[in-house]
Amino acid sequence: MDKIYYKIGVDVGGTNTDAVLVSNENEILAKTKQTTSLDISSGIEKAIKKVISEGNIPIGEIKYIMLGTTHCTNALVERKELNKTGAIRIGLPASSAIPIMTDFPEDLKVILGKHNYLVHGGYEFDGRLISPLNEDEVKNFLLKMKGEVESLSITGVFSKTLPDQELQVSEWAKEVLGGDIKISCSHQVGGLGLLERENASILNSALKGVATKMVSAFKETIDKLGINAQLFIGQNDGTLMSLEQVQEFPVLTISSGPTNSIRGAGALSKISNGIVIDVGGTTSDGGVLVNYFPRESTQSAQIGGVRTNFRMPDVVAVGLGGGTIIRIENGNCKLGPDSVGYQLKEKGIAFGGTILTISDFFIAEEQLEIEGTKTPKNLKNNISIVVNLPYESILQKVKETIQFEIEKLVDKLKTDGKDIPVIACGGGAFLLPTKINGASKVLFPEHMEVANAFGACIAQISSEEEIVINTMQNNEKQELEKLLEKVKSNLLQKGALESSIDVLIKESIPLAYLPGAVKLKIKLCGDLLN
Amino acid sequence: MQKITSEDIEYIAMGSTVLGTGGGGDPYIGKLLAKEAIKEFGDVSLIKADELDDDALVVPIAAFGAPMILVEKLFSGDEFIKAFEMMESYLGRKIDAIMPIEAGGLNGVIPFSIAAQKQIPLVDADGMGRAFPRLEMTTFTLHGIPVSPITQADEKGNKNVYHTIDNTWGETLVGATTIQMGGSCAIGCYPMSGKQIKEAAIHGIVSYAKSLGKAILDAKYLNLNPLDSLIEKAEAIKLFTGKISNISVKTEGRWNKGVCEITGLNEHQNSLMELDFQNEFLMAKKDGKSVAITPDLIVLIDAENAQPITAETIQYGTRVVVLGMKAHKQWRTEKGIELAGPKKFGYKENYTPIEELNKNG
Repeated sequence: MDKIYYKIGVDVGGTNTDAVLVSNENEILAKTKQTTSLDISSGIEKAIKKVISEGNIPIGEIKYIMLGTTHCTNALVERKELNKTGAIRIGLPASSAIPIMTDFPEDLKVILGKHNYLVHGGYEFDGRLISPLNEDEVKNFLLKMKGEVESLSITGVFSKTLPDQELQVSEWAKEVLGGDIKISCSHQVGGLGLLERENASILNSALKGVATKMVSAFKETIDKLGINAQLFIGQNDGTLMSLEQVQEFPVLTISSGPTNSIRGAGALSKISNGIVIDVGGTTSDGGVLVNYFPRESTQSAQIGGVRTNFRMPDVVAVGLGGGTIIRIENGNCKLGPDSVGYQLKEKGIAFGGTILTISDFFIAEEQLEIEGTKTPKNLKNNISIVVNLPYESILQKVKETIQFEIEKLVDKLKTDGKDIPVIACGGGAFLLPTKINGASKVLFPEHMEVANAFGACIAQISSEEEIVINTMQNNEKQELEKLLEKVKSNLLQKGALESSIDVLIKESIPLAYLPGAVKLKIKLCGDLLN
Repeated sequence: MQKITSEDIEYIAMGSTVLGTGGGGDPYIGKLLAKEAIKEFGDVSLIKADELDDDALVVPIAAFGAPMILVEKLFSGDEFIKAFEMMESYLGRKIDAIMPIEAGGLNGVIPFSIAAQKQIPLVDADGMGRAFPRLEMTTFTLHGIPVSPITQADEKGNKNVYHTIDNTWGETLVGATTIQMGGSCAIGCYPMSGKQIKEAAIHGIVSYAKSLGKAILDAKYLNLNPLDSLIEKAEAIKLFTGKISNISVKTEGRWNKGVCEITGLNEHQNSLMELDFQNEFLMAKKDGKSVAITPDLIVLIDAENAQPITAETIQYGTRVVVLGMKAHKQWRTEKGIELAGPKKFGYKENYTPIEELNKNG
């Protein structure tokens, strides 16, 4: 018989830190929304404390805590606390036409530093050497970096197929720069496509300091609470990473937020395919749920202005949230795109402020309750005074505009003409209309306001690999099976339950103009061991 | 003559992706190469074919190889210069101007990097007016101009000069050695006089690519729909609207042959389009009936952002618009259809111009 245990999911957003307490059957026992604190940890601490006391469960029975956070994303976007990073590309005489960091935004180039070097090495697609590594050449460049960089990124041509040169350079780097140097090898970070993989590897190196700090703060917070649970952080594809992995591969935590809310909303509503609209304070983010996973974007993902080849959830945002500012211009009603954001309780009319927001109407209509609001009757009057129009007519206009914007969003996300379910979630979900053209139904599942934290809780773990093989030398089927076994053993090592392992991607794609060359890709996912 | 700046390269690269008709390699790498060179050596002069002296020596310089290799094993940059200089020493005279062999895909932008480094003009013309998968599929071949001598160089320093008995053999031999070179190289080919360019090349194609790129990229500043503005500029026919519902690819020899299925949306609800590609899109069939056939151009556009999609990056579920554009008139002759028409790619159908296939709406 399985022992009863509990999980806690935490989602740290710009405005709120949400938490849920969940049973091992994925039933929500307690939930909370707390204001995100400046230091992040005290908000997490408060939220976890709250759900434990509300759930009234023994601390010893909490087995897993999952954290979804935009910490690394923010560090990149705001260019804060990034490590000075050196980069080595192994590929000369090939690859010199496009220098390292060529297409990076200028401000990021300045922060990351000027230690970018190309060295001899790399492989052809069929495994032949472009040139061998030259130890003196590599070590000379490493010496130039000594004392100048905090982390290092290493990228080799066709290292996805043959990573040994990257690993060798990494060994030399530890010798020259000391064991503390933080290193990313590109073959572990990204897929085929040298520039995109190199970019991802550089960003990863730059984020290592931030990640280490975040991970230790998270650990300390949990320790302080006296909880002895296994800790995880959400990854961009909706699966989980251990804290050790996050310190190694922080760049992979980017964009985990939308993935968590899309998966969470799917699970809460028990709908496998549909459209999820996550309404926050500033925007409504629409995504598409396909077999309980988010549909991925076909565009190459830009992270902090840098091109990478990560697959991100395909999210379309409109400037429509709880705090969206409403303006009346020539009798027409204009929503946003700006919002009062977290200052709703100071600036909204319902709270004695002077700015008209979407929330004011829903409070007036008694469809939304927030602490500190005035009585609805006064509020309707106050709104009418501020806009200098009768309340009913302006309410009508606001509702029509929301209806129009949301229907446009749904239409954009749909891939065919059929009506499909729309699932609402997020703190601002109250503003969504109950009937939407193009939607077969609109669902407002219980606990929808904490769908993101719940999504973190139900996440699985995954593992993937991508290589190029030459089918004139190797048997394609055998190689694909070998790769599958490798990915599977990685996944088991990460702590997956063997019987739960699912194949997400298993493909072999022949390469144009190259007889015999085939790209193999495997991605597996599975549940955490009970 | 006009000056091409780093900013213009953005427009040209986008237009080249349209003219790539799904193939020709993603111009992103070529764009970075050209911009780096312009930054270092200065802007490039783009001249009209008519500005050339009749006895000027003009050589198309191109990247040759597999698109997937080009994004993993990046160019050294030197291979293009070597192919260029080898041609000069082989012919025993200076090259006066270079040009793209094809305005579609990667090769639409790469010559800018060589023109900048060598400080010579680039001719506003090419030999395809789009992208094609084979070296002999040029309007130069239609005019009996030999592809040889071909100069070839790789990043390691290996070099070759070819004298082939005809233009098809040029493709065959250079293709074979390119695989041994690791899947990519640089070539100089079809050395021509200014007079030959004036007669045989497709004129104004680089400016045309730039105007297509501008139509897409500037639309948002002008408050226009980028797709509509592209359609207007390209005088394109909107063949289909739908979403990608299936993709199947197999390799035959050096080519990827594939079919991409698109399920109709909006005005094409309940219809199905099949796009056949062999690197480039070659045939579009709506409910089993041909609506566009090579050498006319078939362009797949992402309905979300109006950007062209290459055949290698097609993804299930993407909402797309399929556009058809008229091939240059040189391709619509009997000889042109024989060299780059449907029979050449193994299709049974006869070529019918796109405007006739779609005249009833």
